[in-house]
Amino acid sequence: MKPTTAQYYKQKMLKVLNYIQDNLDAPLELRELANVACFSPYHFHRMFKGMMGESLKEHIRRLRMERAAWRLRHSTHSVISIAHDASYASDVAFSRAFKRLCGLSPARYREDSTAPFPHLSPTAIRYSETEQLKEFEFFHSTEMMMNVVIKEVAPMEVAYVRHVGPYIECGTAWEKLCTHLAPLGLLGGQAKMVGLSHDDPDVTPAEKIRYDACITLDEDFSPTEEVGVKTIAGGEYAVTTHFGPYEKLSETYAQLCGEWLLTCGRTAANQPCFEVYLNDPESTAPEDLVTDIYLPLEGLTS
Amino acid sequence: MTDKVDLFKQNRADYIAPKTPQSLYVGAAHYLTIEGHGAPNGEAFQESLEALYGMAYTIKMTRKRDGKGDYTICKLEARWWHADGVDLTDIPQHQWHWQLLIRTPGNVQSIDLEQAARALVSKGKSELVKTVSLSQLEEGDCIQLLHTGPYEDEGYSIEILTKYAQEIGAKPNGCHHEIYISDPRRVPPERLKTILRQPVAMT
Repeated sequence: MKPTTAQYYKQKMLKVLNYIQDNLDAPLELRELANVACFSPYHFHRMFKGMMGESLKEHIRRLRMERAAWRLRHSTHSVISIAHDASYASDVAFSRAFKRLCGLSPARYREDSTAPFPHLSPTAIRYSETEQLKEFEFFHSTEMMMNVVIKEVAPMEVAYVRHVGPYIECGTAWEKLCTHLAPLGLLGGQAKMVGLSHDDPDVTPAEKIRYDACITLDEDFSPTEEVGVKTIAGGEYAVTTHFGPYEKLSETYAQLCGEWLLTCGRTAANQPCFEVYLNDPESTAPEDLVTDIYLPLEGLTS
Repeated sequence: MTDKVDLFKQNRADYIAPKTPQSLYVGAAHYLTIEGHGAPNGEAFQESLEALYGMAYTIKMTRKRDGKGDYTICKLEARWWHADGVDLTDIPQHQWHWQLLIRTPGNVQSIDLEQAARALVSKGKSELVKTVSLSQLEEGDCIQLLHTGPYEDEGYSIEILTKYAQEIGAKPNGCHHEIYISDPRRVPPERLKTILRQPVAMT
């Protein structure tokens, strides 16, 4: 790992981690957290998952839970108020979640002072009432088997249909786009199928996730009410290939934006990633699907 | 909403192929096809492939927009021959002739093809799309097997198929036909699955 890149990201991540710990009672929105350390909001959630080994949402939930455990042991707050502070609406839901984490109900945990403090972090970062984090180790998966190439990509003009809702329903956007473009002769040749995701499915509610189904254009096309036109920025991109079902794309994204980015000596540019679908999900078994993932890189400095 | 037609699944019997050869009867089937000659990794082959797929998706999506039903684009198939009927393994690849095929529902009509080709050419796509045509093929008695491995190693599987033909007293009666089950971009060569089919006449 090149120390400079890793140090750069570590300093930024430390700010976020300490901010989270200090503000567990706040809603902790993705954008706000990305701002804390000047991370690009486009990549922050994936970087977090790749670098920390758990998603932002999992991290926040876990810390709130650990704080709850700490308060059960060291305070006299009622279980229901502790549950509320951990963002649980009822003590039943809290009890169930706590038991899953700790193996004991909150009441038993409070009574039994020898019960161990739950810690399930992949990075040894735990809740502390008094301490600030100064240093930590990035998460390393056991199998970092990723081939990444860096490509210079020309700006791409695309026709697109925006889908707002769960990813599994984005087929309707594709259908709209393809049935619109096909009769115009815009589906053949080198036309690429590109997907642009604007949100983190882990943080954004499913019904609000924005996804653009895009097809590259090499001829003029006038946008309509349903089908827009825009340009995907050119520049240098880190490209890796994801093999298998689309449901597992987020794992490859996390590895690219986390572990790989830490080792490459480059930083991510403030633009969204995109993915290029290389086969037809209708006639291809999910495990045989091939998708290229493109992560935009900041221009080289000095 | 009408159900999507998947010809590959509906005609499963045509695509069953064990490692050892088996006999089967292949009834009439409709295809979108394009013909050419040259090596399979050559430019002409790649351009034809692109033209065929461009047509296949343009036709499918245009018909879908027009409410004429939806179907899945089937696996790529190809038939191979030499102009003089020489055994392909004996001549260089650039002399190979081929017909690329994608199985297509019978209600796709030549007017669909004309419309699609016009649209594609109007947007500057290769004129090759105009050479894509509809074919009906009824191969009848066939023998086939599943070849697993690189395309270059097909010779051995073809030998097995030829030997089997002799055993059952059949002789070739049509072009060598391949059905590409695997995607060569995804699958390493040693795991590529390809059905090798030979139409035969019983003697």
